[in-house]
Amino acid sequence: MGFFVTSLIFLLVGVIAAIFVRLCCNRGPSTNLLHLTLVITAIICCWMMWAIVYLAQLKPLIVPILNEGD
Amino acid sequence: MIGARHPMDMIRSEAMQLVQFIIPIESSHLTVSYLGELGLVQFRDLNANKNLFQRTHANQIKRCGEMGRKLRFFKDHMAKAGILPSVLSEMSQMTQAHTDFDELEAILSELEDDLIRVNANNLKLLRTYNEHLEYMLVIQKVGEFLYAKQNLTAALRSQIHDTDRSEMITDPSKQIKLGFVSGLIPKEKTMAFERTLFRATRGNMFLKQAAVENLVTDPVSGDKIAKNVFVAFYSGERAKEKIIKICDSFGANRYPHADDLERRREIIEEVSRKISELKVTVDVGLQHRENLLKHINDQFAQWNLLVKKEKSVYHILNMFSFDVTKKCLVAEGWSPIFASNQIQSILQKATIDSNSQIGSIFQVLHTKESPPTYFHTNKFTMAFQEIVDAYGVAKYQEINPAVYTIITFPFLFAVMFGDWGHGICLLLITLYFIVREKKLSSQKLGDITEMIFGGRYVILMMALSSIYTGLIYNEFFSVPFDLFGKTAYACSDTSCINAYTQGLTKVRQTYSFGVDPQWHGSRTELPFLNSLKMKMSILLGVTQMNLGIILSYFNGNFFKNNLNIWHQFVPQMIFLNSLFGYLSILIIVKWCTGSKADLYHVMIYMFLNPTDELGENQLFIGQKILQVILLLFAVVSVPWMLFPKPFLLKRQHQARHQRRDFAMETLFTVDNDTIELNPDHDSNSDKEFEFSEVFVHQLIHTIEFVLGAVSNTASYLRLWALSLAHSELSSVFYDKVLILAWGYKNVFIIIIGIIIFLFATIGVLLVMETLSAFLHALRLHWVEFQNKFYEGDGYKFAPFSFALLSEGGDD
Repeated sequence: MGFFVTSLIFLLVGVIAAIFVRLCCNRGPSTNLLHLTLVITAIICCWMMWAIVYLAQLKPLIVPILNEGD
Repeated sequence: MIGARHPMDMIRSEAMQLVQFIIPIESSHLTVSYLGELGLVQFRDLNANKNLFQRTHANQIKRCGEMGRKLRFFKDHMAKAGILPSVLSEMSQMTQAHTDFDELEAILSELEDDLIRVNANNLKLLRTYNEHLEYMLVIQKVGEFLYAKQNLTAALRSQIHDTDRSEMITDPSKQIKLGFVSGLIPKEKTMAFERTLFRATRGNMFLKQAAVENLVTDPVSGDKIAKNVFVAFYSGERAKEKIIKICDSFGANRYPHADDLERRREIIEEVSRKISELKVTVDVGLQHRENLLKHINDQFAQWNLLVKKEKSVYHILNMFSFDVTKKCLVAEGWSPIFASNQIQSILQKATIDSNSQIGSIFQVLHTKESPPTYFHTNKFTMAFQEIVDAYGVAKYQEINPAVYTIITFPFLFAVMFGDWGHGICLLLITLYFIVREKKLSSQKLGDITEMIFGGRYVILMMALSSIYTGLIYNEFFSVPFDLFGKTAYACSDTSCINAYTQGLTKVRQTYSFGVDPQWHGSRTELPFLNSLKMKMSILLGVTQMNLGIILSYFNGNFFKNNLNIWHQFVPQMIFLNSLFGYLSILIIVKWCTGSKADLYHVMIYMFLNPTDELGENQLFIGQKILQVILLLFAVVSVPWMLFPKPFLLKRQHQARHQRRDFAMETLFTVDNDTIELNPDHDSNSDKEFEFSEVFVHQLIHTIEFVLGAVSNTASYLRLWALSLAHSELSSVFYDKVLILAWGYKNVFIIIIGIIIFLFATIGVLLVMETLSAFLHALRLHWVEFQNKFYEGDGYKFAPFSFALLSEGGDD
């Protein structure tokens, strides 16, 4: 699964989470905006962490060298 | 926008206003009570120059104190009687009839008198009962001696005969009549007692003692002690007096004894009867006391609350001042604007309920003072808000970092903690607290448990984030799994000889989620992970710092401070991003292209020799020119941060001065709705403008930012450091304890190994590492994130609220 496909999946999960939060706890416009901000922040953090680890392994300069006795 | 809430909850403090109440005296008490129940007004003390005893309601507060003392007295006795305190439930609070204050005072004094009387009576009865029990013992024991008395008398007579023949000869008329004293004495004093008696009577007495088998309850002290029954035979009046005095001084209880057998039997019957009577009476007395205490206990919690409420109401009433006519009270306070309607309806309700003819007046005062900061939080966001407030309460209406902290704080914690096994353990612990929330919130918990309970939602977020980062780092108690497909690495050929020298090769697509499981245990694991985590820390750090600077833009926008936007936000963004933003981009480009460029070299020579050829460190075309341009941007932005702002501030100040002088010449006009406070409040904006002070302040700010850009970015490397420490510790405990023990094939060693692994995991990894990562994530937020935009010099809104009273400890 490539980089862009998985990023798209993160985006979709974010959208679904935002909709879910709006449906289950609809408490007025100002609170809804707060919930949306939290969901967006969370998705961005999760995506960034995944993307960093993924990109670092895309074209590796070091490879695993096994230990004797493994 | 007066009255309208902000577009997002909690992003800025609620809009507050300074309000003034003018309340007629008869409705003042009720008004304050109802406002206390609402809990949205912070009253100002208008009588600050008076001490506690000079205030109007000092007497009432004293009465409340008296009642508090009586309640504490009841509580002590209830605790002694072993009655558990009743918990005030919500239901009983609403359904109980509103007991009047004076009534309550009368009830409490009456109950106190009752309780004291009942206690005294019980004590007396108990004492009499114990005395009778002792009397019974004495009679029984001494009876045994009686049979020996005849022989004793004879023996004594002969003794005296032998020792003092001369006495006998000279005084034959003297009849030797033996008397005796009987009683009980505590066992430990018997030796001293005997010796003293012997000395005092010069040996002319005979003491016989017998121990009592069971412990006897002493009438005076009420304790059970070991006692001895004694009989002291003596002759002569003087000896009798001495013996009696000695008995009294030793605390020996004396009981009379009859010689005659008949008499003795009568006495025994009488005493037994009395004992059974007294027992019944004592029991009835104790039962009566218990009933009284139980009756008190039912009402105790609500009486306690009532007294506390009244005391606080009188404290608040003391803060009010009388107006000129002495018929009304004037009160000032801060309250959120959205509560205006509620407050006004409360004032009306109080007027009606107190049958007052005059209504209260509610008006808004205009002032240049800075209002308190109030965030409307719920049980989830409260803990995060407290974390932010611990560093500094937000200035009125500046952006609240807590909004972002809710997500980024657990996230940065998890970057340092990443292990989904440990994350699951944390999750289970915090779920226990959350599931039993209602029950635990009414109990009194220990200090540490209280802290964990208060932060249960924070720990929940931390646990969930740790599970996520644990899956990404691929560590379950340091063991990797291939949950997301096959590993990307395999031997380069079928014989696999190179695997131990040159390593595996990447044969498939990158492992789709997280760190490839093949890395764990290899020789190049640490170089790879270190490089990955360090670069990740830089990327996360630059992102968070950029977020901080962007928030300062929004602050500048809100406070209409164009100076801050153009001469602080813009140059700061340019400086940070042309250096560290560029570094982040280089990192990503290097990863995407797989180039062997040395980024340290690139960054350092960007400063030292910007015009040099890059050679093998070239990552993309035009890099050299781009670097020169970025360097120029960075160099230009530093004086941009430093110089314009002080000069522009000076110009602004001069313009304002001119406008003020002009305005002084016109008359003041008074508005209909609002009252201008006296001009003293306006002088705050007209304070002295010292140019040198402002310039130095700006210089410090600039230096802090420029140097801080480097040091803060490096500070984010702690994300790498703690993550490395955690994974190494976890790996050591797993490999060197569990696996080692497993290899021995001896059940005993395996069990010991498991126990050590358990304790090490809980003590070091779950407790110490959690606290450590918590602390460092906190520091990253408080310092590196918040110093980009947060001023935090406000003060917290502390309303007068009954809800906060019942949470607080007993006064």
